[in-house]
Amino acid sequence: MTELRTITTDRLHLRPISPADFPHWREFYSTDHSHFVGGPRSAEDAWWKVCQFVGHWSMRGFGYWSVETKEGTYCGRVGLEQPHEWPEPELGWSFLPSATGKGYATEAAQAVLDDAKATLKPKAVVSFVHKDNIASIKVAERMGATADAKSGYDCPYPEHLIYRHPMGCAA
Amino acid sequence: MTIAPTIETERLILRPNRAEDFEAYAAFYATERATLRGGVKSRDEAWVQFAAEIGHWTLRGYGFWAVEEKATGAYVGQVGCYYPEGWAQPEIGWLMMAGFEGKGYAYEAALCARAYAYDVLGWEQAASCISVGNDRSIRLAERMGAVLDRMHPRDGKPDQYVYIHPAPGSASGAALEALQ
Repeated sequence: MTELRTITTDRLHLRPISPADFPHWREFYSTDHSHFVGGPRSAEDAWWKVCQFVGHWSMRGFGYWSVETKEGTYCGRVGLEQPHEWPEPELGWSFLPSATGKGYATEAAQAVLDDAKATLKPKAVVSFVHKDNIASIKVAERMGATADAKSGYDCPYPEHLIYRHPMGCAA
Repeated sequence: MTIAPTIETERLILRPNRAEDFEAYAAFYATERATLRGGVKSRDEAWVQFAAEIGHWTLRGYGFWAVEEKATGAYVGQVGCYYPEGWAQPEIGWLMMAGFEGKGYAYEAALCARAYAYDVLGWEQAASCISVGNDRSIRLAERMGAVLDRMHPRDGKPDQYVYIHPAPGSASGAALEALQ
């Protein structure tokens, strides 16, 4: 079984998903804030989604972390995901409205990418970002990722762009 | 992360589901047999569901085990304690791969899961929801002493019978303990 690690950044703590996180996602997926990440979803679907993120670790050996501030305030999720049919691991992030606009997503996603380069050493990492999701496009660009129109495959989400992350040495 | 404990019965091992079990699971959901258990699924859909069922353990503290044949190590199916968000009550569920039916394995595994629900998890009641037409599972529920409680009509999927198991410590429960 995959050992679930934690990652600490300047302001954030990335830790395994716990049952107590679900109410945050039930609330998040109930509103249009979830529009860019497949929502809104019913409470039932949101629950299964969280289950899926947890089980992904058993299937792939990597997955999503929950993100909280060092004071313990829940912020969102970040991690690498690669369901069965996806050709490349995807670095994804999704933060509650209360935790956006602070640079948390960039800080957390960069930490996951650096960690992946040091541990999993994937050949490539992409991010699928909704074409209208300006905030997430900025996160991807801040990390140095660029839109890739020649990936050779269709993005699993028809409205999303494929951003490809630079795979040089970890900072 | 909560991982399923490993439990041995007379002929079976109940253990955590693992990535290498996915092929058998996907093969089951590719066949018409799956219409009575949530519907036929593509490999991609089956993968997501398989992963999510592993995650059920973390969110609830229980879930589905992989059931292995002790003598051969073969993956014969799944059994477990199941209570997704939005369900009316927790239930005991099972799923047998083609070729492993008719040996009493589902019965042996489901009794173990029910004992776990009562003795370890402290459930006071357990149900089993079984699609209309799944005669084999209906016979299994009845063999376990469960009784038909009500119908659960569903849109777009087969209606289900809701069976309720004998309560912990009841006559049937005592018979179960004698078996263990």
